[in-house]
Amino acid sequence: MTAGVLAADARLRPPLTRQRLVLRVVVVGFLIATAWAWWYVEMSLSAVFGGFGDMANLLGRMTPPRFSDLDRAITLAFETLWMAVIGTALAVVLSVPVAFGAARNTSPHPAVMALSRGFIVLTRAVPDLIFAAILVRALGIGVLPGILALGLHSIGMIAKLFADAIEQIDPTPREAVTSVGAGKWQAIATTVVPQIMPGVIATSLYRLDINLRSSTVLGIVGAGGIGFLLQQRLRSLQYDEALGIVVVIFVFITVVEFLSAAVRATLLGSERSLIGRSAPRASLGATLFRRLRPSTPNRVGVAAFDRAKVRPPMIGERRTKAAYGVLFAGLLVYALWSVRLDPLEIFTSLGEVAEISSRLVPPDFTTARDGIIEGMLQSIAVAFIATFLGAFLAFPLGLLAARNVAANRAVYAISRLFLVFLRGIPELIVAVLFVSAIGLGPIAGTFALVVGTAGFFAKLIADAVEEVDPVPREAVFATGATRLQETATSVLPQAMPALVGNLLYVLDINLRVSTVLGIVGGGGIGFLLLNSLRVLQWETTGAILLSIFVVVYAIELLAGWVRKQIL
Amino acid sequence: MATIAHLPTASKGRVRPDADPIVRLDQLSKQFVDGPLALDRVSFDVPRGQLLCLIGLSGSGKSTLLRHLNGLHSPTGGSVEVLGVEVTQARRQELRELRREVGFVFQQFGLVGRLSCLENVLSGALGRLRAPRFGVLSYSTALRRQALEHLDRVGLADRAFQRADTLSGGQMQRVAIARTLMQQPTLLLADEPVASLDPESSAQVMDVLFRIVVEDRLTVICTLHQVELALGWADRIIGLRDGRSVLDRQVVDLDEAEVMDVYRRVEPEEPDHRSASTIVLDSMRERREAAAATDPVRVHP
Repeated sequence: MTAGVLAADARLRPPLTRQRLVLRVVVVGFLIATAWAWWYVEMSLSAVFGGFGDMANLLGRMTPPRFSDLDRAITLAFETLWMAVIGTALAVVLSVPVAFGAARNTSPHPAVMALSRGFIVLTRAVPDLIFAAILVRALGIGVLPGILALGLHSIGMIAKLFADAIEQIDPTPREAVTSVGAGKWQAIATTVVPQIMPGVIATSLYRLDINLRSSTVLGIVGAGGIGFLLQQRLRSLQYDEALGIVVVIFVFITVVEFLSAAVRATLLGSERSLIGRSAPRASLGATLFRRLRPSTPNRVGVAAFDRAKVRPPMIGERRTKAAYGVLFAGLLVYALWSVRLDPLEIFTSLGEVAEISSRLVPPDFTTARDGIIEGMLQSIAVAFIATFLGAFLAFPLGLLAARNVAANRAVYAISRLFLVFLRGIPELIVAVLFVSAIGLGPIAGTFALVVGTAGFFAKLIADAVEEVDPVPREAVFATGATRLQETATSVLPQAMPALVGNLLYVLDINLRVSTVLGIVGGGGIGFLLLNSLRVLQWETTGAILLSIFVVVYAIELLAGWVRKQIL
Repeated sequence: MATIAHLPTASKGRVRPDADPIVRLDQLSKQFVDGPLALDRVSFDVPRGQLLCLIGLSGSGKSTLLRHLNGLHSPTGGSVEVLGVEVTQARRQELRELRREVGFVFQQFGLVGRLSCLENVLSGALGRLRAPRFGVLSYSTALRRQALEHLDRVGLADRAFQRADTLSGGQMQRVAIARTLMQQPTLLLADEPVASLDPESSAQVMDVLFRIVVEDRLTVICTLHQVELALGWADRIIGLRDGRSVLDRQVVDLDEAEVMDVYRRVEPEEPDHRSASTIVLDSMRERREAAAATDPVRVHP
C-alpha cells in the first residue's frame, strides 16, 4: 500500500479523541482485571461446568421442597418484614438531620457538612451484614442488632439521596419566604420540605424493598429473621426443608415488591412497575379534583368561623396520601409490637453502638496483615469475574426484556418474568445454597454473584433500552436494515452511556457484596472478619473494616470518574 | 412498454427499480385504532422523475400517507404499489429490498446523536449489508469513502467525525440527506424536511435537496408546510384535507388562491367563540394527540 492511499484512508478513520482513548483504556483495564481475577481465584471452565453438576446434584436432593414447619417459616418471614420496616423507619428518622447537615444549601457550618458527609460515606461503604455481625457480637442474638444494622447502613443511601434532593430544589420560593421575614428553619420548613417530599417518599419506599431483601439474610449471623432458619436446615442437611424456606422467601419478597410498586405508582404518579409496564397516570378522579380545586371559592371572610372552610378538603390526592400515612404509621406500630421492641430501646442501644465503635480503634493491621491482603484481593477478584460473566448473560437477556426491541409481546413478558425470578432470591441466600452445593470458597461466591448480576443488570439494560428515541430507529429501518442491524446501529449507541454507567454501578455493588460473601463461606475478606469477631479481636475487626471501606470507596470514586469521562 | 405499465401488475413481484409509474395508490384508507380516519380513499399515480408535493394542514394525513409508501404503516383499506411491489402484501425480505430503494427524510432527522456524522451516513448502507455493524471501523474502507463523498455533497465533509448532536438543525438534516444518498435510492420520500428549521437553514437544506434530486434524476414525494416553497419546487401538487385528496394539479396551471383553499378551515357547525389563544392551544393539543395516535414502528408485515 502506498503512502498516498494511507494518507487518504487516514481521513476515513475516527481521530483518537480523549474520550475514545479513556474508553479504550477502561475497556482494556476491565478485561485485564478480569483475566487477573480469573487466574487469582483459580477459576476455570471445568470449575464452571463442575459447579453446574454440583448444583444439579444439590437441586436433586432439594426437590421436592418440603414445608413441614410452614407456620414457623411464615412467622419468621413476617419478622423479617417487620425488621425491614422498623430499620427503614429508623434510617429515615436518622437521615433527616444528617441530610440537612450534608446539603450545601442548608448545612449550618462547613464542619457539620464535612462530618455529615463522612458519616454518609462510612455507613454506605460498610455492608449491613457486617454491621449485623458486629452488633450481634456486642448486643447478643436477636432482632435488635438486625434492625440497627439495616438502619445504620441505610443512612448511607437515604441521607445521600435526601441531601441531593435538598440541593436540587428551586431556591426562589425560599428567597421569597425569607424576604417576608421568616427565619432560616421556618423558610426550610415551608419551602424546602414540601419540595423534597416526593423524593423522600420515593427513596424511603425504594429502600424498604432493598432492606426486605437484605433482612432475609441477616439471620445467618444471628440477627433475626428467616435467614436463621435456612442456615439451620442446611447445617442439619435437610435440603428439601431448606428449599421450602427459599420458596417462602421468594414468594414473600415478590409479593411485597409488587405491593410496594403499586403503592409507589399511586403515591408518585406514573412509575415503572416491577414488570416494566408504566402504571396509569393519575386517576380520573384525581385529575377532576385538581381541575376543580382552583374554582373552590377562597371567600374565607363569608364564614370565617366555619372551620370546615379553612381546612383543606379531604379529597382526591390528599385523601390517598393521608390514608397511606395512617397505614404506614399503623404498620410501624404493629411491627414494633410484634417483634416486642420498645422504640426507646432502639435509641438507647445506639449509645452502645457508639461504645462498640470505640473498641474498633486503633485498628490493628499487623496481626492479620497477610490475611487481610489476601482476603481483600480475593473479594476484588470475585467482584470482577462476577461482573464480567453476569454482564455476558445479562446483555442478550436485557435486549429480550426490552419492550421496544423484543420480537413480540410473548418474548418480552417471558423475559421480564424470568428476570423477576432471577432477582427474587437475594444474592446471599443464593450464595448459601451454592456453598452447600460446591463447598466453601470463592467459586461458590462467584456463582452466586453471577446469578444476581445477570438478573439485576439485565433489568437495568432493558429499562435503558426502552428509553431510546424511536425516531432514529425508524430512520434506520427505512434504509432497509434488518432488526439486528437496526439494534446495533441505533439502539445500542443510544443506550451506551446508560449501559456503561450501569456496568460500573453493578461492579460497585458486586464489590460490596463480595466483601460479605465470606460470612456465608463464599470466599473473600468476610470470612476473616467473622473470625476476628469470634475471637473478639476488636482492633483487627477495625482494621478489616477500614480496608473494606477504603477499597469500596476507591472503586466508587473510580467509577464516578470514569462515568464523567466517557458520558 | 406503455401498455404493459397500465396492466395490473402481479402483487408479489420483486422490486423493479424501473417500474413506471413508480407509485400507484388505489383507494388507500387508514383508520387508526381508537384514532381518527387518517386517510380516506386516496388514489393517485406518480410517474418516474416527478417532483410531487403534498400539502395540507397538520393532521390532514400527509405524513401518514408517506409512511405507507415504505411500509412503516400498513393501511386498513386499498392498495399501495411502489416500484412494482404491493407494499401491503410484501414479505419481510421484499420490504427490505423496497426500503433500500426508497430514501426517507424525516422531519426530526432521525440521526443517532451520539454517533459521528460519518457513522450516521454509513447506516444508509445497511440495506445492502447482511451483518449488524457497530462502530465506523466495522464498515469497509470503500463504504467509508463513499460516505465521505456523500457528506461532501451536502457540504459537511469537514464534520465527518463530529458527533451528530453537536450540529445545528440544518446541518443535521443535511447529514440525514447524505444518509439517504448512501442508499442510492430510486424514490425519495421527504416528510416535512424543513418544518423544524429556521428560514435560512430551510433554504439551504432545500437547495441541497433540489440539486441532488435534479442531478440524480430522483422521483420525489415531499410533504411541505410552506406553500411558497412547494410552488417554487414541485412539478405537481396534491392537497389533502381530513385524509381526502382535495386538489391534484400540475404546478404550471395552478394559482395561489386554489392552493390556499386547501388550508381553508371547514366551517364549524356552531360559530367558534373561542379566543385566538384557545384556538392555538387547542390545535397544539390536537397535533400532540395526533402524534400520540401514530402507531408504532412496523418492522415487518
